[in-house]
This record gives sequence, C-alpha cells and structure tokens, in this order.
Amino acid sequence: MLNLLKVFVRNRKAAFGVFIVVFYVVVALAAPLITDHDPNKRVSRPHQPPSAEYVMGTTRMGRDVYTQLVWGTRTSLMVGILAGLIVTLIGTVVGLTAAYYGGATDETLNFATNVVLVLPQLPLLLVLAAFLGQVGPLSIAIIIGLTSWAWGARVTRAQAMTLKNREFIQASQLIGEPVWRMILVEMLPNLLSIIGFNFIGSVIFTIITQATLEFLGLGDPLSVSWGTMLYNAKNASAITVGAWWEMAAPCVAIVIIGVGLSLLNFGVDEISNPRLRTLGAIGKAMKLQKKLDRARLAEKEA
Amino acid sequence: MRFILRRLAFYLVAFLVAATFNFLIPRLMPGNPADVMLAQAQGTIPPEAREALMETFGFINEPLYLQYLKYLGSIFTWDFGLSVKYYPTPVFDLLARALPWTLFLTGTATLLAYALGTLFGIRAAWRRGSGFDSFMSPLALALQSIPPVVIAITAMFLFSVSLNWLPAGYAFDPSLEPSLSGPFLSSVFFHALMPVLSLSIVLVGGYLITMRNNMIGQLGEDYVHLAEAKGLSDARVRYNYAARNAFLPSITAFAISLGSVFGGSLITEVVFNYPGLGNLLYMGVIARDFPLIQGQLLIMTLAMLSANFAVDIAYVALDPRLRRA
Repeated sequence: MLNLLKVFVRNRKAAFGVFIVVFYVVVALAAPLITDHDPNKRVSRPHQPPSAEYVMGTTRMGRDVYTQLVWGTRTSLMVGILAGLIVTLIGTVVGLTAAYYGGATDETLNFATNVVLVLPQLPLLLVLAAFLGQVGPLSIAIIIGLTSWAWGARVTRAQAMTLKNREFIQASQLIGEPVWRMILVEMLPNLLSIIGFNFIGSVIFTIITQATLEFLGLGDPLSVSWGTMLYNAKNASAITVGAWWEMAAPCVAIVIIGVGLSLLNFGVDEISNPRLRTLGAIGKAMKLQKKLDRARLAEKEA
Repeated sequence: MRFILRRLAFYLVAFLVAATFNFLIPRLMPGNPADVMLAQAQGTIPPEAREALMETFGFINEPLYLQYLKYLGSIFTWDFGLSVKYYPTPVFDLLARALPWTLFLTGTATLLAYALGTLFGIRAAWRRGSGFDSFMSPLALALQSIPPVVIAITAMFLFSVSLNWLPAGYAFDPSLEPSLSGPFLSSVFFHALMPVLSLSIVLVGGYLITMRNNMIGQLGEDYVHLAEAKGLSDARVRYNYAARNAFLPSITAFAISLGSVFGGSLITEVVFNYPGLGNLLYMGVIARDFPLIQGQLLIMTLAMLSANFAVDIAYVALDPRLRRA
C-alpha cells in the first residue's frame, strides 16, 4: 500500500490529481463544519456580488453560493462514486465472465455490450429520467450506473482475453484450481489497472452527466448539487443579468474535479504502461543532448 | 461484403432494442403516462389530447404482444405520434425540421475536432517530451474533462454577453428569408461559429490523446525503425508509415465518441438556443412532452447507427485485411 502511494507521489500528474481529489473529499466530508447554515436558507438579498460575508456571492433566491457549493460537492461526489461502483461492478463481471467462459456466453454478453455501446446514452437517460419524474441524486446515480457499463465491459473483456492464454493461468488450470480462485486470485489482480481506469473514468462521466441532466431540468430542484445550481442560475438568467458568480462557482468546481480525476487516470495509465511513462525522461535526455551539441558547436567555432 | 451485411444486421437489432426500450419504459412506470402527463402539465395540455396520448403510447385494449407489434409498425412508418407541447403537430415533423441543424452542427464540429486532434496527436507523439507535447497533452486531457455545458456557457458569456461579438441564439438572423444568398449564408455562419467551436473544443482533447497514444505505440515498432534506417525523410516516416497505422484504432475511438458527440450537441444547442434536436428536446423535457422525448431517442439512435455504419465502411476502405476476410 505504501509502495503504491510512493509510485503515485513520484508521478507528478498522479500526485496533482490525488491532491485535488483528496481536497474535494475533505470538503465533502467537512461540509457541516465549514458552513454555518442550511444550503437552502435565504441569507441575504438576491444576487449580491462576492463580498467578505458571502465569499462567492448570493443566488437569485438570496442563498449563499459558497454554502450551496460545499453541500453540492457532497451530492456530486456521492453520485459519482456510487454510479462509478455500479459501472465498474457490472463492467468487470460482464467482461470477466465473457472472457473466461468464452463460447456462447461470450457471444451473448459481447453482443449485449456492443448494442448498449451504440445506443445514444444521453437521449436514453433523458427518456428514463423524464418518465421517472423529477429524479433525486440517488436515482440519477442508479440510472447512470445501469446504462454506462458497456465501455468498461469491453475493455475488461479484451484485457482478460489476453490474460487467459498466459502461462500462469494455464498452470493454475492444470493444477486444478477452482474457478473462483482462478478469477479472483489469478486474473483480477492483473486487471486492477484497467478496473481502476474504468472506475475513475465513470466517476468523471457521472459527475458531468448528472450536472447535465439537472441543468436540463430533469433533476429534483430541491436537492443541492452542482447541477441544480446550474439549473437555478440558468433559470435566473444569471449570465445576462451579470450575476456571473452564480454560474461560475459550479462550473469551476466541476472543471477542477474533472481535471483532477483525469490527471489521476493519466497517472494510472503511465504507471501501468511503462512505454508512456519513460517519455518525459527521453524528452529530457534529448534536450540535454541538443544542449551539449550546441555547446560543443559553439566551442568549435570559438 | 459479408462484414458490411453483418454490421447492418447488428444495427437493425440495436435499433429494435432502442424501440423496445421506448415501448417498455412507459409500461414499467407506475400509473398511466397519459394521466401523469396531464397532471404534471396542470392544464396546459388540452384534454382532447389524452386520447392521442394513449394511442401514442400504444395503450389500446389489446394484448401486450399486439400492442408491441402495432407500436413497431408505427415506428417503421415514421409515425412517432403527436407532440403534446405543439399539439397537434406530429412528432416526426418537428424532428425532421430540427435534425438538419443538429447534423450540420455535429458534422462540422466533429470533422474539425477530428482533423485537429489527429494532427496535433501525431505531432505530440513524434516529438514526445517536447514543449509542444508537454503543453498540448495535459491541455487536451483537461479539455476532455470539462463538461460541454461549462464550455458552452463560458463561450456564451465571453463572446456574446461581455464582448458582444457573436449572436447569442438561433441559427440565423430571423429577419432574413432562408435562401442561398450571401447575407443569409454569412448569418448562418456567424450564428454557427460559437456552437461549432465550443463543441469541437469538447471533442478535440479525446482525439488528440488517442492518436498520440496509438502513435507512440507504432513508433516503437520495427518497421518504423527500418524506415528510419533506410534514410526516408522524417515526414514520410511520420505520416506514411507510423501515422497511417496509428490511424485505424483512432477510427474506432471516433466511432465510440459519437455518443458523446450527440450528447454534447444536445447541451450546446440548449445553451445557444440553436434550433436543433437538442433544443427541441429541451422544450419537450420542460413540457414533459413524452412522445417528443421518445421520438428523439429513436431519431438519435438512427443518427448514431448511421454514423457508426459510415465508420464501418471507412474501416473496410482503409483496412485491406477486412476486405479479404
């Protein structure tokens, strides 16, 4: 565990990503400690610009943008993580099952995966959300989780297929290990980077999609999240009346967590794929060589 | 040819799945969607629309399998029912009016983003670790994780509200008559500029990263070293050898990205009030116009499947192995 942490810290991109994500998690956990009142309470006059008292200004309804943002972090992160878990669970189970059993099982599962992959996702989510009425954060997490697993399943299957023909798997087959052991102990650890990649990617996707659904007015307007903040700001024409802070706060929050999670993902990719990792070193070496060459050339001319 | 036919059959099944979803969802929800809709609309829907609604959802006094068959029949004759918000305009007419704008928007933005992303990706991989690479790749990554909503809103705020350079809505100046004249086309161009660019920005990062990573994989291959050893020019090794082979997986990535292309265009249209499917859908969502929302799922599925099919054909044209198989 400590070793893994070291690897993360040594990779600059991953370290920066970890920092951002940890910061958000701390904010989400500490929400009751770092805010003074209920996020839906009217604390001031509408559309007050940022000031010492309300650091991010107030909304059209006179609510404190800062408080809403902090509590919204809680909702958005929870929805992201829950949907990410559902996506990863379904994707991994489907991918592994298809790769391990092969044959008709594989054909069926692969076919289902490919069908889900070519269906337009946002329109499908819109239909589901519209029929469910105004959906709360929990339902949003579940419907996103249930419709977004296909990509992960495909990637996991591809990776597991290449594992299946490796010698250590065949050896474990020959010594008669039970199926659960082969899948959980032999194959799963070798898929961890793909699974992690899938999980982080799904969390980003969910946070963005949740904000989008709520922005379009399909969320529960009483819940506090970045998406409902955007929705309220849009309804209050915040941009056209010049109350940019109402719109900017959730936008910036979404962008930064998105960047943080992608950096983390990029780091995971570099850590697990040595070819991508050494690039920085090669670049540095090449630059140094050029510098040396130039210095030598200058010496010769002098 | 067999490959193409198999893909066609696959897309037909995929379309049937989407249609079946559309058929099942209203039936799995508690209560009767027509009554739910009337209740939610609070009097804005004329009561005589109820009959039409029931029929749209296929709630007729017949067994389920007959309802299903009848539903499928109506879909394949382009009968998606009547819109509630724009009662009694057929949903199909509304969609057909909006679809060209969406295709125009997504088509231009995707091609632009794909061309730029691929070119930059090749360059970043070729000089990996260089200033260009270490600036562009993280930037691409960051862009990829910014939601379309945020980019569209920011562009709108900067260029329409603050600087007042570009129009903030519609596809063309409403005072002009649609024609092939200069002023009309330039009006279309300036109205499309912001939506197209903000949609491309969302997409370009993903294409760049995919192409870069594919290209780096190819650059380690023996045939590339051989080409270099033979003394071929840099440009030739770069484009005719490495990039050419790195291109194929990037086309698959392109096909996979189509879903987010259509998703992104929905949002961009809503923000810029652009008269495509996304904006129409937004009106439908606000008014809880179920037939309209369902119709757009089918049209979007159809658009996405056609785009995927076009990618398949491109794949066959580019990869000789598929033609021989």
